[in-house]
Amino acid sequence: MKSPLRMAKEQDLQTIGLSTVADDLLKPRLLTQLGRLRGSMRSLAVMLDTCVKCGNCVEQCHSYLGTGDPLNAPPARADLMRKLYRRHFTLPGKLFGRLAGAKDLDSEMLDNWLTYFYQCNECRRCAVFCPFGIDTAEVTIAGRHLLSELGIVPRFMQQVALNLQKTGNNMGIPAPALLDCVEFIESEIEEETGVAVKIPVDRPDSEILYIPSSADFFTNVDTIVGAAKMFHMLGVRWTVASAMLEAANFGFLFHLSAMQDHSLRMRRAAEQLGASLVVQGECGHGWRAARMVTEAASGPVPFELTHILDFTARHLERLSLRKLPLRVALHDPCNYVRAGDLVEQPRRILRACVEHLVELQPNREETFCCGGGSGILMEEMMEIRMKLGKKKAEQIQAAGRIDYLAAPCSICKAQLPHVMNHYAVPEVAIGGIMDLVGKAIDLTSSTGGSGA
Amino acid sequence: MSCVNVNGKQIAVDDDGFLDDPEVWDEEIAKAFARLEGVDELTDEHWKVIRYLRDYHKQFGVAPMIRKLCKETGFDLKKIYQLFPSGPAVGACKLAGLPKPTGCV
Repeated sequence: MKSPLRMAKEQDLQTIGLSTVADDLLKPRLLTQLGRLRGSMRSLAVMLDTCVKCGNCVEQCHSYLGTGDPLNAPPARADLMRKLYRRHFTLPGKLFGRLAGAKDLDSEMLDNWLTYFYQCNECRRCAVFCPFGIDTAEVTIAGRHLLSELGIVPRFMQQVALNLQKTGNNMGIPAPALLDCVEFIESEIEEETGVAVKIPVDRPDSEILYIPSSADFFTNVDTIVGAAKMFHMLGVRWTVASAMLEAANFGFLFHLSAMQDHSLRMRRAAEQLGASLVVQGECGHGWRAARMVTEAASGPVPFELTHILDFTARHLERLSLRKLPLRVALHDPCNYVRAGDLVEQPRRILRACVEHLVELQPNREETFCCGGGSGILMEEMMEIRMKLGKKKAEQIQAAGRIDYLAAPCSICKAQLPHVMNHYAVPEVAIGGIMDLVGKAIDLTSSTGGSGA
Repeated sequence: MSCVNVNGKQIAVDDDGFLDDPEVWDEEIAKAFARLEGVDELTDEHWKVIRYLRDYHKQFGVAPMIRKLCKETGFDLKKIYQLFPSGPAVGACKLAGLPKPTGCV
């Protein structure tokens, strides 16, 4: 196996309802599942049918640029699946085989799928530069799902999915630990500001259900602090849910049934707490999954769905913000600008919170991925992660002196410190946007309460 | 499954080198893990972090927030990295016998 990924074993797979498949059943199973996806995910068929190999995307892919591996070029990556698809689902492929760009399944193909579908950050940058709009992320998402159907699952993904199943969040934080975290954060805020700000847990009849990234309760505390201060100042009735403390939806990144489970979990939590508005925290792919597929996966939902940055941007005039004397560079998470309609909101918030907003070049929908996108955060992938982060490091390096790198996504927050260190980019604080809102907000001028 | 030899005893660890069963942890295991992590000697400061992590995990079933770990031990993050070069989530948790924190970290 070429990939350094550590894989889930049979007993691990069973914990999340998957299992390995006997060698002789691999091919029929794969073709059945690919046929199903072709029916349910029409975009996939478009992506597989359309490429003319013009090469426009190749030099735009940070994965190819960082690794220099030709199979990481988007057309080559998609071809890993396209060849099999042609062989079994197109007439020319069935009749003329290799002459029609078709190839049948062999062990090398599966090995390549694992290697290269887990070196694609699903960032969609290729789609921006493709004249047909071919989105390799769609192929990667399908490819990882199909691998999981064959019991080929990175251990990291399986463990995250198991944690979500057990506790309602990826970190595996049980409810009593959440209460302990909340108590600690509340006391920190009071110590800092002298104002008692509550982070309600499972409060019934809440207007807003806030779904943070669970990493906010481990490494990124300032992000939840900022959100709590903001809700407090607006005086809205909000809550977090102990059963759904996770904006990230890793199912989207490895197995679509797990994605659906996450979606349903969100829906149940909102219904249980009576929330009419669900606000997602700082998580890139989670927002993309929630915004793009929640209703497709679990049917119409009886609540509105928005993102904390959109929500904050809409309420800026009601927040008492003092500009922080900082030069802040914004790293646009791929999923916000290419799949989440969060392009100008982060900028509006930052202009209200800090004195200098520095744009990385390129930015907005042409942003480069941090290199950890799509859940490539495994320790064993570190060497590859650094190659995937090369373009981002160059961008940050070129931005000159900055005091803070705003990276409003938990994966970016986890990945970027490694990238900066690896490429010897001068040390700078890295955190979310809500972190800065929390620091800029003047709670003492608050007129509202926490809505309690 | 892999094993680490601790004073002649084979201790089962997962693929990331973390203890398979946090219950089998003892100080000798911490010392053996420390050597593997490039920490030559475990000082009182190391033990303070390790004990806090173990106590918290025993009570709550998860690693504490990094900020709480810092506050409760009186060490800032920089100090924690000095003590455990691979950081609180990897190095410190490993030595304390906790499972590897997973998710977006």
